[in-house]
Order: sequence, then C-alpha cells, then structure tokens
Amino acid sequence: MIRFEDVSRIYRTRRGEVKALDGVTLYVEAHEFLVVRGPSGSGKTTLLLAAGGMHRPTSGRVLVNGDDLYAMGPRERAAFRARNIGFVFQMFHLVPYLTVLENVLLGGGVAASRARREEAVRLLERLDMRNRESHKPAELSAGERQRTAIARAMLGRPNLILADEPTGNLDPENARQVIERLSEFHRDGVTVVVVTHGAIADRHAGRIIHLAQGRIAREARPG
Amino acid sequence: MSVVRLIFAEISHRKLNFLLSLLAVATAVALFVGFFTTGEASERETTRLMRDMGFNLRIVPKETDMERFWAQGYSEQTMPEEYVQRFAAKENISYTHLLAALQKKVAWQGRQIILTGIASQEVLPGSEKKSPMKAVYGQQGAGIQPGTVYVGYEIAKALQLKKGDTIDLLGATMTVAACLAESGSDDDIRITASLRDAQRLLGEEGRINEIKALECLCRDEKVDSIDLLRTQIEEILPEAKVTQLRVIAKTRESQRIMIEKYLAFILPVTVIVCAAWIGVLAMINVRDRREEIGILRALGYGSLRIAILFLGKAALIGVVGAVLGYLAGTGLALRVGPGIFKVTASGIAPVASLLVWSLLAAPGFAALSSFIPTVTAVTQDPAITLRAE
Repeated sequence: MIRFEDVSRIYRTRRGEVKALDGVTLYVEAHEFLVVRGPSGSGKTTLLLAAGGMHRPTSGRVLVNGDDLYAMGPRERAAFRARNIGFVFQMFHLVPYLTVLENVLLGGGVAASRARREEAVRLLERLDMRNRESHKPAELSAGERQRTAIARAMLGRPNLILADEPTGNLDPENARQVIERLSEFHRDGVTVVVVTHGAIADRHAGRIIHLAQGRIAREARPG
Repeated sequence: MSVVRLIFAEISHRKLNFLLSLLAVATAVALFVGFFTTGEASERETTRLMRDMGFNLRIVPKETDMERFWAQGYSEQTMPEEYVQRFAAKENISYTHLLAALQKKVAWQGRQIILTGIASQEVLPGSEKKSPMKAVYGQQGAGIQPGTVYVGYEIAKALQLKKGDTIDLLGATMTVAACLAESGSDDDIRITASLRDAQRLLGEEGRINEIKALECLCRDEKVDSIDLLRTQIEEILPEAKVTQLRVIAKTRESQRIMIEKYLAFILPVTVIVCAAWIGVLAMINVRDRREEIGILRALGYGSLRIAILFLGKAALIGVVGAVLGYLAGTGLALRVGPGIFKVTASGIAPVASLLVWSLLAAPGFAALSSFIPTVTAVTQDPAITLRAE
C-alpha cells in the first residue's frame, strides 16, 4: 500500500540543518491499522505528510499503491490524493464559512453530484452528525468538528486514511469515539495510519512504530 | 462543491474584506467615469471659451497684401464663398469651426464703421453637417437673422441706438437685434449683419474676404503649428493663405496641456493607489485563508482551482465595482459637473459606453491587482499550515 524507500527529509533553518526523516524505510500493508508514535519533533507529521503527497522528501521514494508520488506532476498528484487519500488533522481544518455538509462535500475532489451528496449525508448519519449538517464549524463541539473532518476524509471512499494527532484536541471520551470511528472504517477495508503521542489507538493497531530523531526506533505488533 | 459557491460563501463570511476591495474598484471606476463624462463637457467648454476669445486662424485670399491687411484689419481681396466647403470633405485636419465672413470699412452716418457679414453656419471638417453659428465675435446671441444687425458699442452710444430700432444701412432698412457691450477692440465700431445682407450691401454677392477658423486641439505637439497649418491650406485651398493669432493659439494650447497634464497625473495615481489597495487586501485575504488553502490542497484541489478561488473573487469584485463605480461616477458628474462647466452644462449626460468599458476593464484590473497574492496562495506550501499545532 505505502512504501517508504530510504526517505529523508531535511529542513534548512538559520541554525543549520534539521533531519526530520533520516533514511526511513517502511512498508504499510493494505487494510493495515498502523499507529505511529514518538515524541514531538521525531518526524511523525513529516512522515504522514510525505505519505500523503504533501511533502516532498529530500531523498528517497514514496510509493502508494505502487505509484511513486513524487514522480508525478503536481496536478496528477493532487488528483491522485483526491481519489485515494483522506486526511484528518488535529486542528480539524474545517472551512469556517461552510456548513458541516458543505465541508464534507469538499472531500473527494470531484465535482458535486446528487450521489456524492447522498454519500455525504450517509457518512454524517454514520458519524451521528446528521442533525448538525447545516451548522457552521464555529457552532460545533471539538468532537463534532473532528467527526465532520472524518466524514470529509471518507467521502469518495478513499482506500487510505492519514490521521495526524486526530485526538490531540479532544477530551478522552471524544478521543475514544474518534478512534472507534477510524477503526470502523478500517474494518470496512480502509488502510489507516494514525500519528499520535499517546496510547489511545494502540488497542486498534495492527502495528505500532516508534519514531525518534527521524528514524524508526522500534516496532511492535500488539496482541 | 463548486468554486462559485466557495467564492460566494467566503465573501459572505469576510464581508469587510469584500466591501473594502469593492470600494477600491468602485472608487477607481467612479473617478474614471466622472472624468470622462465631464471630460467631453470640459473640452466643449474650453472650445467655447476659446472661441469666445475670437477665432485664432484667419484664412484670406492668397494675393492679400499682409501689410495692408494688418493696417486695414481685413483683406481687400475676395474669394468665392464656396471655398469654405472644401474643408467639409477633409478629415483629421488642424482647422475646425470654419466661418465665412466678408468685412469692409465703409462711411456711414458721418463716421467710419466696419461692416461685417457672418455666415449663419460653421463648417465642421470631416462632416457634411454644419453647426449653427451661435457665438458672434465673443458676444452672446444666436445666428444673425437676415434683415437684422448687431451694433458695436461706440456706434450705438453715438447714435443712441437700442434693440428694436431700425436703421438705414447703405440703402437698406435693418433692425437692431442687439447693441453689444464695450469690447475694447474694433468690434466697438462694427456693425455685424448676416453674410447675405453684407454681400448685398457691399455689392459682393457670393464673395467673402476671410474664413475665420479655430485651430484644432488635436494636433501633434511635436509639429510646429503654423507650418502644419500652411502645409494643409496648400493642399485644401491653394488659393488662400492662413495667419495665426499666436496669443490666442498659445492660450488654447496652454489650456489643453494643463488639462492633459492634470489628467495624466491624477488618473495613473488613482489607478496605482487603488491597485495597491486591492493587492494589500487580497494579500490579507490570502493570509487569513492559509489554513483553508492547505486543507483544499490536502483534499486534492490543484493550483488552478485555488487560483480561480482568488481571481474569481477579484473578477466578481471588478464586475460589481464597475457597476457601482459607473453609477457613482455618472451621478457625481451629473451633480457636480454643471457647477463647474456652466456653459456646456446641458451637454453633460450619462455615457453608456463607459459602463461597457468599465465592465471589461475593472474585472481585469482587480484580477491583475490580486495577481501577486494569488501566486502566493498557489505556491504556499500546505504542509507548513497543516503541520501547525
């Protein structure tokens, strides 16, 4: 599904070079639920964004479904992302002037149609957000915002969900619910990669990798 | 989710940014429309005022002895009246408002007067149309009716003439249409009649001894004015020659240059200020929307769609700003213009073509002003905003 081949990402700052990723080689299987853990600055988000075609590595290759993401042109990569990848972020990143339903409809990257609208409504129903579809993000709780973001990520049935600290701004109950939802989609056949500090997603994970200083420090398979 | 829906929703969310941008475009358009709507009136006003100073070109028969011309104040030679029509067929020449005249000093009532006949219509080059002669030698009044005369100040004063009196002029009975105010020139000893009457009274039917004209304001500044006038008269009417009243010509030119320089300064400054204003607002808008741009990128929106979000909004601002600016500029011109251009006030009217031009130019102007912010939005690295916690 996702293959990292000796991927490095170096940031150049005034204080010198920072290696966010340092020769990472990783394979994520289709339908896997992978948890990526590590302290702040260990390279978790960089790894996730690189896997989503959002952050070009300094060296190495990233392949998703066998396609080298960074060998594609920007337009092709954007279209690939729209078809295959859904993102969920810690800060939700909902568009403030759109309703919940409209935010969901932003996902998938293809033109609006009745079928897509019906799909969006089904997703909102599944995430217990149907009664909030005409609300603006400012009128939602943090948990509701994140569920909206998950619905948006799932529109168009991507086969890969990349979640960056999806529970970082949530209370424990909402955090648990969000991970449950992601797990449900995983059970439907979606590959899920969750980047997180804590252990909340561990019990759903097929595998956990620990990053430290841009490298995979260790790997574990719970249960 | 269509881009159009996104644009309208964003405008509704960030109303102040939209309204300020709209104000910038509408201001620029309003100034342009205001200037152009009153500009034509300004030009007409200048022409009228300059004409009231007197025609600045005098076309006389070629054989005229110029020393005697200046001593007498007119040519002793005559030419056929129809010569003036040769100018009607010409376009893009430096002569305009051509008026056939015949004048001669005659003895009347024991004094020397200048009897002048003026054609009732001016010839406008490049047009078969003729303009009614409304201003006579710097004085008020419509064209001179046959059988009537305008009497100069000194004559009227000496003979105690007033409007409506009848006089015997070289054997013909004429009615005084007006007694003119003191002019401080030889107009004060002039009696002005229609050209037909003057030709008959002077025994010069079908003849004139001068064509009065205004020098067109449209000539190239680099070309010497009198050289050009002489070259053109040689082509159009080789039987005549032209003299230019330099003081009047210079005044006209100074007036034209002053207005041109004023517009050349004020209009670009307005455009630059408004463009910078729109650009800054668009840049603020891009900064406000960094997170949104980042997530749209993550969701697979390409550079083109992101650019359309910003340029589309700018174009919309341009269209609405063009309409509002046109209405404001026209309203301003109609309200303020008549107070400035009193003589040609009635000529100030809405110019519909300016709306079309505004609708074509303003969206482009707004989009161009938003170009750098749009490039910033398109080239923004989404990872930077999406990484932020």
